[in-house]
Amino acid sequence: MNAREMAAMAARGIVTVKPDVPMISVGLGTCGIGNGADVLFDALVDAASGGKVLVKKAGCFGFCAEEPLLMLYRPGNPILLFGDVKASKAGKFVDAACDEKVYNKLAKTARAKISNWDFRTSAFDFGQGFPEIPEWNEMPFFKGQEKLVLRDCGLIDPENLEEYVAVGGYGALAKVLGGMSPEEGIAEVTNARLRGRGGAGFPTGIKWKMMRQNVAPAKYVICNADEGDPGAYMNRNEIESDPHMLIEGMVLGAYAMGAATGIVYVRAEYPLAVERLRKAIADAYAAGFLGERIMGSNFSFSLEIVSGAGAFVCGEETALIASVEGKAGRPLPRPPFPAQKGYLGMPTNINNVETWCNVPVIIARGASYFTDIGTEKSPGTKVFSLVGKVKNTGLVELPLGTPLADIVYGMGEGAGAHKHIKAVQTGGPSGGCIPASKFDVHVDYESLASLGAIMGSGGMVVMDQDNCMVDVAKYFVSFTSAESCGKCAPCREGLSQMLRILTAISRGEGGAEDLVELDRLARVIKDSSLCGLGQTSANPVLTTLEYFRDEYESHILEKRCDAGTCESLFEALCENSCPLHMNIPGYLALLEDGRIEDAFELTLRDNPLPGSMGRICHFHCQMRCRRETLDEPVAQGEIHRYLADTMYKMGREKDVWARLVKEKKPATGRTVAIIGAGPAGLAASFYLSRLGHDVTVFDSKAKAGGILRYGIPGYRLPKDILDKEIELWKKLGVKFVFNTTVGKDVKFDAIRSQYDALIVAVGAQADKRLGVPGEDLPGVHPGYEWLEAFSLGKAKKPGRRALVIGGGNVAIDAARTLFRQDCEVTVAYRRSKADMPANAIELAGAEDEGIRIEFMLQPLEILGEGGKVKAVRFRVMRAGGIDPSGRPKPVETDRIVDIPCDDVYISVGERVESAFLASEGIPALKDGRIAADALSGRAVGNVWAIGDAVTGPATAAEAMGLGKRTAKAVDEELMQRDVFGTLFRDFGHSMDLPPEPLKTQMCRSKQVPPEERRGNFQEISMGYSGEQALVEAARCLRCDIRANARSPWR
Amino acid sequence: MDIQSVTSASAMLDRKPGGVKGAGSSAALAKPGALLMALEEAQRACEFSYLSEETLRAIAASTGEPLSRVYSVATFYSFFNLTPQGKNTIVVCRGTACHTRGSLALLREAAARLGMPEFREDEEPSFTTDDKLFTVRTVACFGQCALAPVVSINGTIFSRITTSKLCTLLDGLKKGARR
Ligand code: FES
Repeated sequence: MNAREMAAMAARGIVTVKPDVPMISVGLGTCGIGNGADVLFDALVDAASGGKVLVKKAGCFGFCAEEPLLMLYRPGNPILLFGDVKASKAGKFVDAACDEKVYNKLAKTARAKISNWDFRTSAFDFGQGFPEIPEWNEMPFFKGQEKLVLRDCGLIDPENLEEYVAVGGYGALAKVLGGMSPEEGIAEVTNARLRGRGGAGFPTGIKWKMMRQNVAPAKYVICNADEGDPGAYMNRNEIESDPHMLIEGMVLGAYAMGAATGIVYVRAEYPLAVERLRKAIADAYAAGFLGERIMGSNFSFSLEIVSGAGAFVCGEETALIASVEGKAGRPLPRPPFPAQKGYLGMPTNINNVETWCNVPVIIARGASYFTDIGTEKSPGTKVFSLVGKVKNTGLVELPLGTPLADIVYGMGEGAGAHKHIKAVQTGGPSGGCIPASKFDVHVDYESLASLGAIMGSGGMVVMDQDNCMVDVAKYFVSFTSAESCGKCAPCREGLSQMLRILTAISRGEGGAEDLVELDRLARVIKDSSLCGLGQTSANPVLTTLEYFRDEYESHILEKRCDAGTCESLFEALCENSCPLHMNIPGYLALLEDGRIEDAFELTLRDNPLPGSMGRICHFHCQMRCRRETLDEPVAQGEIHRYLADTMYKMGREKDVWARLVKEKKPATGRTVAIIGAGPAGLAASFYLSRLGHDVTVFDSKAKAGGILRYGIPGYRLPKDILDKEIELWKKLGVKFVFNTTVGKDVKFDAIRSQYDALIVAVGAQADKRLGVPGEDLPGVHPGYEWLEAFSLGKAKKPGRRALVIGGGNVAIDAARTLFRQDCEVTVAYRRSKADMPANAIELAGAEDEGIRIEFMLQPLEILGEGGKVKAVRFRVMRAGGIDPSGRPKPVETDRIVDIPCDDVYISVGERVESAFLASEGIPALKDGRIAADALSGRAVGNVWAIGDAVTGPATAAEAMGLGKRTAKAVDEELMQRDVFGTLFRDFGHSMDLPPEPLKTQMCRSKQVPPEERRGNFQEISMGYSGEQALVEAARCLRCDIRANARSPWR
Repeated sequence: MDIQSVTSASAMLDRKPGGVKGAGSSAALAKPGALLMALEEAQRACEFSYLSEETLRAIAASTGEPLSRVYSVATFYSFFNLTPQGKNTIVVCRGTACHTRGSLALLREAAARLGMPEFREDEEPSFTTDDKLFTVRTVACFGQCALAPVVSINGTIFSRITTSKLCTLLDGLKKGARR
């Protein structure tokens, strides 16, 4: 091959890279094929047959979540990028390629365009046009990416050498062989400060130089394409999409180091990569880029493929060499280093795929081109496989030093509004878990290492609240312990000991001393293992211990796995997600067996307000219901409402109540005071009185119920239901002291010293202010305060036009209450509908009632006239990038609107009013929340705190859950006993798996039609009929029927 | 192991790997990864894709490698099976991405549906049904992580699998296998 032949080859390649005829290319990597790209490709070929449309295979462009990806090119125009293309659309695309009109219409659905492309070794202008379509790197997923290694991926046909040459491929090789000495080549790589892309980031130049200096009869270069990190796949894609880039990099390296033979060690699980690489090697031989006297020079180099057989330890250099030699892959102590004594005892250089792939760019463009990208210490880019719980998964390549938050929320676009991202795991089994609080870290070798993680080969697995960090540690340790080659004791024995401890913890059998032991073992393994696999294998444990210690503690002390991963710690996911841990499968089974009274009793023991909560709960249970993967979740809450309503209607609750009263534990002689008769205080007092304590509840209002009575309107929760349920407390002997504000009417200190234990359950009811001018005008009402006044009959008659600001449940409650007062109601919210925190069903109800809801409005000023509100001025916002709440951040536009109104109701969140406690020595956080122990709820001495006062605004069920848990802790503290479990009863419900779960969708209860709702507060939902309840119960998949299902409370 | 696969395995050892010009060494095993490749080839050629004792002996004999070394290699790498595999193979990915997206539940479901509810991956690498129709195995990663969780059935990869999708696939497979 000489310069002229190369130019001719390039010219042939251009015909298919930037053709004169229309072209459609499909990304045919493993991920594309797994998503139907091969079917699409065949359909396109069929549709295009006979015509003059070029249908071409390409590699993967990286946006794997949107596969199959299709690129449509009409000469003179930009390349248009389409995602998620179905094979049925093939004809349409072929038509569009031929026909301008169809093309222009189809272009509207393009995700992005590519007007020009820098292949780094050459650049192409494809065409201009379609100003309304974003450039590829303006889409969130690609924004901030810099494709240096992935320079050709997705744009050229990986099986076509001519295309590779057309975009400048093998140009670096020609340059080197045309007059660069090996030393100059090494100098370029050294000056580029390229670092190994497979792990710890050792400087490649130094490694090459060491190798160069060794004189030996034979020298070898090896490419490590074993990609053992489960969850990372960039090397697979690099080979599949652009195999020649790897070959060229290896030839350049071999020339610089003086090696005549190269080996690519690929894992067997990557058949497509092997196939494409095989073809590329054969083509390179045929064209003279490999073999004897490459490109007419004196340099000869041969390259072979060895396929690995699945052993993580083979990522370690010495183990890999053993494996290539045909032995079991066990590492050897170093020195001697492979550069001195490697494959067959000869000097050997091993680099990761991606390291090799950087070399042609460095040689072609020079070291300084490379060092201009990335950071001082870590120049260049790194490809990451962004996977796990993020919206956009795929391969991202970015300059080193990019903040992690940009990757997770920017390119990945978060995990959606309803899940919160907890951590990112980088570096696989050798890496660590980085908590969300540290996402401002800049991704480079040193910064990741300082957090206890590593960059590794570039795996990035995002985890959300449903992933348990103890389980993650256990997962990695079980992986490395199975993969340990067994040669050295610290790794072999240490890992299996760690696994034993982690398994015990995940089964609820761990003890507090286990954490100390784990930490000690981890450090020993880290310091004394033979090879890199062992030394780094403790990282997942060390980082989770450091950043997620609370999760370990809750597994050990509470025997709970909040994420719902460690199966031995719960009965079913619904039960685990319910803050009260109701035995949901249990009461569903009892209902199905016609045992209504037992079913009711079971719910009551778990949740003392089954009728009320069945109406207004946030239904945490539904969010993890496995039935949802089939159709819709089971309406667990509707069913316990039905049970309660039925029992109350028949008056049969009396018997159950009598049982609870009768089995009260003998009086303990201990006194407990609770401040606040809201959901949290009610739950705590219910359990504490059953445990035999003398309980007194103080509340500033005239009746018990807190937000259930004074915040939630009657059309959602009729007060007679609440009254009915609260009768039970009186039967149990709980004393209420109403109309008494602690800190005003009675001294906090007096109560504290008078009672053995004091539980603060004051809630979070102080409305937050907007902080805009005009907020103090008459006619401006804090939302919650107004709802409360309204329920007490103290609210003034509202003006006709009501404007509610906010998007939570309080805002919607206020709006719907105002609607019932015959107001014309508008709700204004600063984000979009999908991002509203209000319950979806409330929002839908409000819309049914004709309440106007305006989105993307940020209040600027409340305008007055004649000393009264006249309108509110808003700035119109638009959705920006994803913020850490998982929702698009509202960003300002320059549009302003005024919404005229007579009254404004501000419900933009509530906060805890705890100023009076601070002076009593109760620790509080900056935002007013009381600082209490996360497990027991203890604040200080004999003072405990529960509910919104601790968590900030949360759901009623969450508040009750804390009340329940703290009741247990208080009893244990006062009595030094563990009897909480005896408050529950086993009803021996059926444990037979339903043969086929019922196929029906979720049953809907009957509703009062919207037009009949004005002017009254009649309850909207009439609840299930008996028949509906039975059908709904039969939809349950009975996830609790497992050998290891149990709940620590029962 | 049948004669054919023994010969193909030893033929493999004489051949330059990958149809590519070799390093020019004469000893068969001096070729990189030759033993691994011979074992891989032999396993692929076997109807029940495993390496029986006879196969290992045959490979040792034809390569002149001590049997102990052949055995050591065959047991070291997860790719090799030492017991007969079923006609249909279901491979559930247990890589990190798939694990975080619930692949353990899929593995359980597959095991339960094929009649082995007590299968535990930490104790056994795989199981095969008595009628030799199905084998359920795990893999460290398919490199298909962006579309997790991933399951492969007889070599075809299925992405973003849910329990219900898996059940449908398995039911179809069972019907087909019984016929
Ligand atoms: S983790 Fe399952 S395919 Fe990679």
